[in-house]
Amino acid sequence: MSLLELKGVEVQFSGFRALRGFDLSVAAGELRCLIGPNGAGKTTALDVICGKAQVNGGDIIFAGQNISHFEEHRIARLGIGRKFQVPSVFRELTVKENLHVAFCRRAGVFANLGISAAKANADELEKLAELVGLKESFRREAGILSHGQTQWLEIAMLVAQDAQLLLLDEPTAGMTAAETRKTAELCKQLKGRHTMLVVEHDMGFIKEIGDVISVMHQGRLLAQGTVAEIESDPEVRKAYLGSGGIRGA
Amino acid sequence: MTDLANQIITGLSIASILLLVSLGLAIIYGVMGVINLAHGDFLMLGAYAVWLMESALGLGFLPCLVMVFFIVGAIGWLVERTLIRHLYGRPLDTILATWGIGIILQQAIRLSAGAQLRYVKMPDYLVNPLHLLGLDISAYRLLIFSVTIVLVAVTYILIFHTSFGIRLRAVMQNAEIARCFGINNARIYSLTFAYGAGLAGLAGALVSPLKSVSPDMGTNYVVDAFLVVVSGGVQSLFGTVASAGIIGELSGGFAYFWNDTLARALLFFLVVVLIRFRPQGIFAMPLRRG
Amino acid sequence: MRRIFISRGHIIGYAAFALAILVVPLFIDDPYLLNKLARYLIFGILAAALALSWGYTGILNLGQAVSFGLGSYCMAMTLKLHTIPIQTGAAGLPDFMVWNNVKSLPWFWEPFHSTAFAVVAGVAFPVVVALLLGWFVFRARVTGVYVSIITLAMLVVVNLVIVDQQRFTGGFNGLTDLADLKLFGIDFDPYSSATYYLIALSLLATLMIGELVVRSKTGLIMQAIRDDETRVRYFGYDVARYQIFAFCVSAGLSGFAGMLYAMVMAFASPTFLSVQISLSIVIWCAVGGRESLIGSALGAILVTGIQGGLSETPAFLNTWMLIMGALFVAVVLFLPKGLISIVQLGMARLAGKKISALTEDEAPLPRGHKLGIG
Ligand SMILES: Nc1ncnc2c1ncn2[C@@H]1O[C@H](COP(=O)(O)OP(=O)(O)OP(=O)(O)O)[C@@H](O)[C@H]1O
Ligand SMILES: [Mg+2]
Repeated sequence: MSLLELKGVEVQFSGFRALRGFDLSVAAGELRCLIGPNGAGKTTALDVICGKAQVNGGDIIFAGQNISHFEEHRIARLGIGRKFQVPSVFRELTVKENLHVAFCRRAGVFANLGISAAKANADELEKLAELVGLKESFRREAGILSHGQTQWLEIAMLVAQDAQLLLLDEPTAGMTAAETRKTAELCKQLKGRHTMLVVEHDMGFIKEIGDVISVMHQGRLLAQGTVAEIESDPEVRKAYLGSGGIRGA
Repeated sequence: MTDLANQIITGLSIASILLLVSLGLAIIYGVMGVINLAHGDFLMLGAYAVWLMESALGLGFLPCLVMVFFIVGAIGWLVERTLIRHLYGRPLDTILATWGIGIILQQAIRLSAGAQLRYVKMPDYLVNPLHLLGLDISAYRLLIFSVTIVLVAVTYILIFHTSFGIRLRAVMQNAEIARCFGINNARIYSLTFAYGAGLAGLAGALVSPLKSVSPDMGTNYVVDAFLVVVSGGVQSLFGTVASAGIIGELSGGFAYFWNDTLARALLFFLVVVLIRFRPQGIFAMPLRRG
Repeated sequence: MRRIFISRGHIIGYAAFALAILVVPLFIDDPYLLNKLARYLIFGILAAALALSWGYTGILNLGQAVSFGLGSYCMAMTLKLHTIPIQTGAAGLPDFMVWNNVKSLPWFWEPFHSTAFAVVAGVAFPVVVALLLGWFVFRARVTGVYVSIITLAMLVVVNLVIVDQQRFTGGFNGLTDLADLKLFGIDFDPYSSATYYLIALSLLATLMIGELVVRSKTGLIMQAIRDDETRVRYFGYDVARYQIFAFCVSAGLSGFAGMLYAMVMAFASPTFLSVQISLSIVIWCAVGGRESLIGSALGAILVTGIQGGLSETPAFLNTWMLIMGALFVAVVLFLPKGLISIVQLGMARLAGKKISALTEDEAPLPRGHKLGIG
């Protein structure tokens, strides 16, 4: 039984069809990698799931519910968390406060009035910061973190949100080899507890963490399978032609 | 029948003044992302400039118009170079700084020219109405109408048919990338701001013979211009023109049944309801959510 | 470590402030001066209310004078009706209505015979107006400068309507010759220390309510919205609700300030809903420190205090506004977090020397440490 299912999803940007009947099905507990050349529509696919882009056709089913026309916050409350390609955290808030905002158990204005911003859940949040190696920066503003640290903070925020499904857009972009390894470790730890959909270009990283890979091209699902299957698929090779091949992409 | 025609003409002349005021505001916002709260005060400066040149130097009205455009434009240019420049990327702070500049301009005028109302004489050759198509049309309103058409045309050509316009549109779409291609953003910004300010000054000069000139005259005009910009959707010259036309006609029409104030209140209400359903303005295409 | 220090500094600051404004009447026997000081404290409430929406939530409300003015009119209406035996025309009509040939009291004036109703309305009416506008604007996801110009447009429109509807509002002159407020057996004469204390306590209560809000998780989410509104949505919060909440709390507090102001001025007029007042509120906030409630309140008291101390002649006022305009531009350019950020920096320095054993990571650095441009 799949947790997330996209059926023939269409997305248009002023006439340009970024997704053209895109199908995808992700089972609960799975870690799925989504790859494809630049402009294939990977980010758009994540956008349309979390409500950032509007659906122009097709259906998105999450845990048995059609969420294709839900507002962003309702989708998030159902259990979908998102990490953006350009890491986006609250730069003027401290790491702790960032995590606290993400730690959304009650969403209402009046429900949250009774919760102290400084004291509530402090220990839990500190543990989370420790998980991503941000314990030292716990009380510092997120704006001063390095690029890699910002990526980790955003991942930690998804964990704090305790989303059932994590959508990660290029979590290792701009990271050093060591940082990428650390991120892979992190993904493996999260695997099983959360269902994950990871967009990546780094094949090394994908081999390390992924089981099944979905390949996108020009807004469609092109192929799906294990790393070995994908690498020998002639269609996939053709799609990557001119962009330096699948390894270098 | 002539009643209706007169009503439409009144609406058109309200619309053309509105358009003159909104045009500068919309261009500055569209290109620089800056809402210029001093816009109304540039308008006021334009009116005072005409008053001064007419009463102290005895210049004719039409030459005044041309000079006002350049004088107020130069002041705008100076403001951009010295202040606005430091605030790009901080839109709320820019709105504040321009508000402060507006106050400074207003008070400077109040302290130098006095707080009393001033009057600009309409040139004799524009006082008498013209008979056109069986209607009496005020020659002065006709002048405003034609100046507006000319300015919109000039602006259109400037944006779409000159090399300056190409660079301008490049900056509008993506300032970073435009810079990489060697476009001097800073220069584009200061010229745009100056042009917008010049338009405001010209609008002020044109309304000065119709209404009394006072240090706080800009406020009402600029508020109407906000409504035009909000409902027209920025970044679209056509949107600004069309919504100035609609708002001008509507406020003329409402004012015919009630009065100016209630007409304005009703318009404000309509615009607020409108943005609930079309936040991008009437004439913009919806793109992405969020 | 830092948190504890900051909140201790905060408590000391608040205690000193409370003490200062509460003991002042003991040293002043000039009722006019006391009345003036009370007015400054009301401006403090207004500034703190704006800090809540602007400093904490990023909603730059340029039409805050609408809430202030509506509150003041609610209070003025009831006080006007209570002057009937002495100063108003026949049939229990307020004097200006008689002059304007109004034959009977309009229906919306009727409930203002009750002071209790007026006091509730003075807060509730501005809140309802804010709720309506907020629903349209924030549900449509209008943000940033657009909210600012829409609120400013509303201010101008409401002002014009009040001037225009002379028959019901007293037009340009407003509502004058008001009775004193009598509540719980106390006569709040505008020049009495009872009125001063009422206002001082109201200011303290405002700051308290504000602190409770901004220190709650709701306040944290408000700050997150200020930082990056769209990001907040993907964590499951309905952003518009939080914005409407901040907008309404701010409006309610401003309406309350308006009621107090009508009391101490003994009139209400369209100048209370003028662009000038709105602009002044923004200036106070910016000068004091928009991201601090007490900073904003102090900014208001400081700026209006200096203005009142120098002179109140109209000629001087014009020069003063010019200076204010320049000061405002300077603060926006060079001190975006206001004067309070200097105080916080100083306190942090002091503490840094005292607790030198702290590790570098824990060195106390307050929020407002970034001075200058950027
Ligand atoms: N807001 C938008 N307006 C117009 N076109 C857009 C918009 N967002 C994306 N596109 C277009 O949609 C296509 C898919 O974009 P998308 O960002 O999903 O690609 P991607 O697979 O994530 O690429 P990359 O690997 O470079 O991140 C691209 O051609 C892009 O230009
Ligand atoms: Mg992408």
